[in-house]
Amino acid sequence: MKKPLIVIGVGLFFIVLTIKKFIFILPEGRQAIVTEFGKPVGDPKTEAGLHFFSKPFIQDVRYVDKRILNWDGDPNQIPTKDKKFIKVDTTARFRIVNALTFIETVRDKRGAKARLDTILDSATRNVISGHNLVEAVRDSNRIIDINKEKEEAAKNNTEEVIEEEITGEIEEIFVGREKLSQLIVEKADKELGELGIELIDVQLKRISYEKSVETKVYERMISERQRIASKIRSIGSGERAKIEGRLEKDLRRIKSEGYRRAQEIKGKAEAKAAKIYANTYNKDPKFYEFMKSMDVYKKVIKNGDSKVITTTDSEFFKFLK
Amino acid sequence: MNRPQNEFERMKQDIERAKKGILPVAALILVAIGVYTLFYTVEPDEEAVVIRLGRYLKTEDPGLQFKMPFGIDRVIKVRSKRVLQEEFGFRTADTSSRITRYAKKTYGTESLMLTGDLNVADVEWAVQYKISDPFKYIFQTSEPTQNVRDVSESIMRRVVGDRSVTDVLTVGKVEIESEAKRLMQDVLNKYDMGILIVSVKLQDVNPPSVVKQSFNEVNEAKQEQEKAINEAEGAYNKVIPEARGKAEKLVSEAEGYAEAVVNRAMGDVKLFEEILVEYKRAPQVTKKRIYLDTMQEIFKELNNTVIIDSRVKGVLPVYSGKDLKL
Repeated sequence: MKKPLIVIGVGLFFIVLTIKKFIFILPEGRQAIVTEFGKPVGDPKTEAGLHFFSKPFIQDVRYVDKRILNWDGDPNQIPTKDKKFIKVDTTARFRIVNALTFIETVRDKRGAKARLDTILDSATRNVISGHNLVEAVRDSNRIIDINKEKEEAAKNNTEEVIEEEITGEIEEIFVGREKLSQLIVEKADKELGELGIELIDVQLKRISYEKSVETKVYERMISERQRIASKIRSIGSGERAKIEGRLEKDLRRIKSEGYRRAQEIKGKAEAKAAKIYANTYNKDPKFYEFMKSMDVYKKVIKNGDSKVITTTDSEFFKFLK
Repeated sequence: MNRPQNEFERMKQDIERAKKGILPVAALILVAIGVYTLFYTVEPDEEAVVIRLGRYLKTEDPGLQFKMPFGIDRVIKVRSKRVLQEEFGFRTADTSSRITRYAKKTYGTESLMLTGDLNVADVEWAVQYKISDPFKYIFQTSEPTQNVRDVSESIMRRVVGDRSVTDVLTVGKVEIESEAKRLMQDVLNKYDMGILIVSVKLQDVNPPSVVKQSFNEVNEAKQEQEKAINEAEGAYNKVIPEARGKAEKLVSEAEGYAEAVVNRAMGDVKLFEEILVEYKRAPQVTKKRIYLDTMQEIFKELNNTVIIDSRVKGVLPVYSGKDLKL
């Protein structure tokens, strides 16, 4: 009873081993190359699923990735054509299109990485250093068009506005960022083709100023802001002075106008009164003189404390003589 | 040598006994494994990709699903119903409390970017995406998340790179979001990796932190300007209406005065004319009467009068206030 069980177990083990010599499973996302004693035979298998060895026992299989693979470059310091030092960080996506060549030339992913590093880094360096910085930053001349439109609008608008915009260098571009990526791809693709690799794209992930350039850019931005701030402040003080001036002017005008009108009114009234008096009193100037004198006496000599020294020569006291 | 013999016998017996037990147990275990690997559940936010002998078979929806046992079918679950998020320039640290906390660390290398006018802006954003095709998501690329991140960073820099820093910092946000979304989707479609961009959201767009202070200074200056103008306008408004009122008052007073003067003149004149009529009738008597009436009135009021006879000459009139009375 014991022996058959062992026989069954060992038998199963050998059956599995034997089956493995006849078939292999190719998973999704991979491709396989069949080898005979290490030597590749036939086209690479790319269809996932169950496959049979045409010559069992002497054939073996090697797997290679079929998916899109990533390459991440080291940030590289590169001088541009206009002598600006920038750091360029690129990534790329590639695919193993020729598994046979791939295995023959670079063996595996690690080998591929080393080759990709050299090829892509040098392609990037070549392309970037062959162009001005703006070409790597901008993709179109949209910004120039917009600025032109703004200028047109500003021309039509005569009103003075405070220029608050942050200034920068805006040069026309002829190539552009996307095109640069394509140039890198074109440059690298030929060499990579020899490794059985197809480059899908290269993305300029990050482009940044080198530290010292960055500091200078920041300094410029800061000083520009400060200049605008003081301009705004000074415009404020100017406006205030204007208003204060207007206040003083209006105040004086209002006061003097009031005075002038008052005097005019008074003058006219006085004139009218004088005319009235003259017209009537002229009828009998002598009597007017008498009446007015009487009136004035009454008004002047009113207070009980007034001292009057008179003589009997006066008309009033003539009977006291 | 009985003992070893015995022991061997015993072992033999044991194995015989065990064999009877092992076979059913082994069969049972085999069946259990088979049954156990026959089912699987797919959570509501997932889809399951079924692989049969290495080859893609189908994609299953949430619920209880069957498959071939013993590893013939392999199942990979993908959270395809969920909106996934990648963050750039910041990281959400904790969403469990009421207020979402963000990691303090800054991710300047991710967020600092060159603008079209070669200035620098600090742009933080998030990309939300969904897995639209689980199979492609798993098998089309080796590092799907890394691809999303790389493409997003590259595209955001491209979009920002085509704008002036003023645009980026102020009005351009919505446009940047929609353009970045469109371009990202274009690139990802090229990879055909089963990802759908739901949205690109700009979180914070700032000048770089070193420069920020001076940007605030401009805002402060604007406030100061407003304040200076308002204060001056305030002073103007305080003084001028009052001055206008005062001027009006002066004019009104003058008008009143004018009327008074004219009326008095007319009154005086009327009085004079009336008397004049009577005077004309009897000039001598009237004049005398008026004279005497006036004098009476004057002297009645006076209590300090010195009358000197006209014949007394060279008199030094000596008197003292109240002593001297007539």
